[in-house]
Amino acid sequence: MNDELEKSLRFALRPVDPGEKFTQSVLARVAEEQPAAAARQRDHGRSYFGLPARPTFRWASATLGIVLTAGLFAAHQWRIHRTQQGLEARRQLFQALQVTGENLDIAYRMVNNQEPAGNFSRTR
Amino acid sequence: MRILFQKLLTALLLSTALAWADPTWATPTGQLQLPNFDSLASKAVQTVNITLDPNLLSLAAGFLDSSKPDESDVKQVIAGLKGIYVRSFDFDKDYAYPANDVEFIKKQLTQQGWQQLVQVHNVKEQTNVAIYLCASQGNANGLAIIASKPREFTIVNIVGSIDLQKLHRLEGKFGIPKMQVDAQK
Repeated sequence: MNDELEKSLRFALRPVDPGEKFTQSVLARVAEEQPAAAARQRDHGRSYFGLPARPTFRWASATLGIVLTAGLFAAHQWRIHRTQQGLEARRQLFQALQVTGENLDIAYRMVNNQEPAGNFSRTR
Repeated sequence: MRILFQKLLTALLLSTALAWADPTWATPTGQLQLPNFDSLASKAVQTVNITLDPNLLSLAAGFLDSSKPDESDVKQVIAGLKGIYVRSFDFDKDYAYPANDVEFIKKQLTQQGWQQLVQVHNVKEQTNVAIYLCASQGNANGLAIIASKPREFTIVNIVGSIDLQKLHRLEGKFGIPKMQVDAQK
């Protein structure tokens, strides 16, 4: 049983000559492909429709990347600066309110004569 | 007619020139021209120099937390303000501040629109506090406080629409005294 199977497999997988026609069609196809490949090789680096050629495009991409990174860094720095400025303004606002409040308090106490009488002269 | 036109033109040019030369002559804005006090700053042992213009005020407002009652009240008070200017100097000698700078400011406070609300003088402590309000068309648009002690001199100028009811909410905070006066509605 096994011998018969082996024989039939050997027969099915035996080397067969493809014939002259097949060889000629393969050679014709190869000859047809060569100019196209050469053209592709030649056109490498040329710009199409105004788009930059590949090496230039690489430089443009790199430049764009650097510009974007620098822009993001500048925006980040500006935000940090703005935050510091805002916190300083907030601190100054509270300090201004404190100074204003202290002086209003002095005036209020003096107007209400909380200090010993006779020490004040008052207008209005 | 021609003479009248010439006189009107002259008056207009003169008023423009006066307003240009001396801003205090123009319609009161509630903002004082504060001297630079450079000489004072060099003599002072402690200096507070605060200049909050509209941009910085709005920036500061952005950093106030509305969820906190105190900061929310401050935010509402400064909403209508155009500026807060504080100059305060502490000295180690008596009366180191120049009288002419004080007079320069007081002269501005005699201009149209400004009125003195209160002036108190403590003879014993030699303390003077004067509070001025600038009002235009029934609205308060400026507040000035000049406080002087032998070794301390302070000027506060708050510019803009001052809502006294909102300011009332700050009583008891930031050193602002509780006035115990009902706000008129």
